[in-house]
Amino acid sequence: MSLQKPIMRGLLAKRLRFHLPIAFGIAITVALSYKFGVTEPRKKAYANFYKQYDAVKEFNAMREAGVFESVRPSGK
Amino acid sequence: MAHPSQLGFQDAASPVMEELLHFHDHTLMIVFLISTLVLYIIVAMVVTKLTDKLILDSQEIEIIWTLLPAIILILIALPSLRILYLMDEINDPHLTIKAMGHQWYWSYEYTDYEDLGFDSYMIPTQDLTPGQFRLLETDHRMVIPVESPVRILVSADDVLHSWAVPCLGIKMDAVPGRLNQTAFITSRPGVFYGQCSEICGANHSFMPIVVEAVRLEHFENWSSMMLEDT
Repeated sequence: MSLQKPIMRGLLAKRLRFHLPIAFGIAITVALSYKFGVTEPRKKAYANFYKQYDAVKEFNAMREAGVFESVRPSGK
Repeated sequence: MAHPSQLGFQDAASPVMEELLHFHDHTLMIVFLISTLVLYIIVAMVVTKLTDKLILDSQEIEIIWTLLPAIILILIALPSLRILYLMDEINDPHLTIKAMGHQWYWSYEYTDYEDLGFDSYMIPTQDLTPGQFRLLETDHRMVIPVESPVRILVSADDVLHSWAVPCLGIKMDAVPGRLNQTAFITSRPGVFYGQCSEICGANHSFMPIVVEAVRLEHFENWSSMMLEDT
């Protein structure tokens, strides 16, 4: 009965081969999650907001609500 | 204006601020990428049982951890410079307003056509009406026409102040004896709040800025009315 020779070399390389892909994978996943979870929805939200934005209608609504001080609501 | 428990920027009300928001998202994404990678490596280094006292150098890893950060910095610098030059574009303003910082109020001068000037003091908390915002409202607002390029010349009468409106992406130091110029255009009508952003004495926190963007005909009526009052 003979013992198997223990592995004495390449331990760091083996560890790096295991951990580095996981490290980069997780980091890139986090970055892509932020990009597609926050960045792109924010860009779309702004684009959609201004696509359907009616400045005159919004201005009149704010005016009637009494938001402005330079313009009184139309009834007053 | 800001709302309670807010973490991010206020909603943008000018094209420049929208660009700044997107740039911040891009840069923060890179920050998360680097931080996650570094955290993983730190934890891996702390829990490893491998040690080698004889490692002296490694050309390969030195090249990697020099080139990779350089590439990342270029990816940050290019959009940053694009926005910097965008902010400096000559935009032929329709209106020029001088904002002067005093201890402890702002004064605004509209001198393009007539001599209109007024002071803008904070409304004290005890004088607020329901619906008004504490420490943000002023007795006279800086009124501007919406969707028109406006130039602001910022200066101060006594000590350093800073004219800042976050949702328009503006912050400009008010330095006595110096005229600082900035320009902006509001994307939508509304009321936009800011606060003095340079320590200027006891009431530094109590000299807010309120910008009111209204349609041009109402801006003209307002300025005529203000001229009659003064």
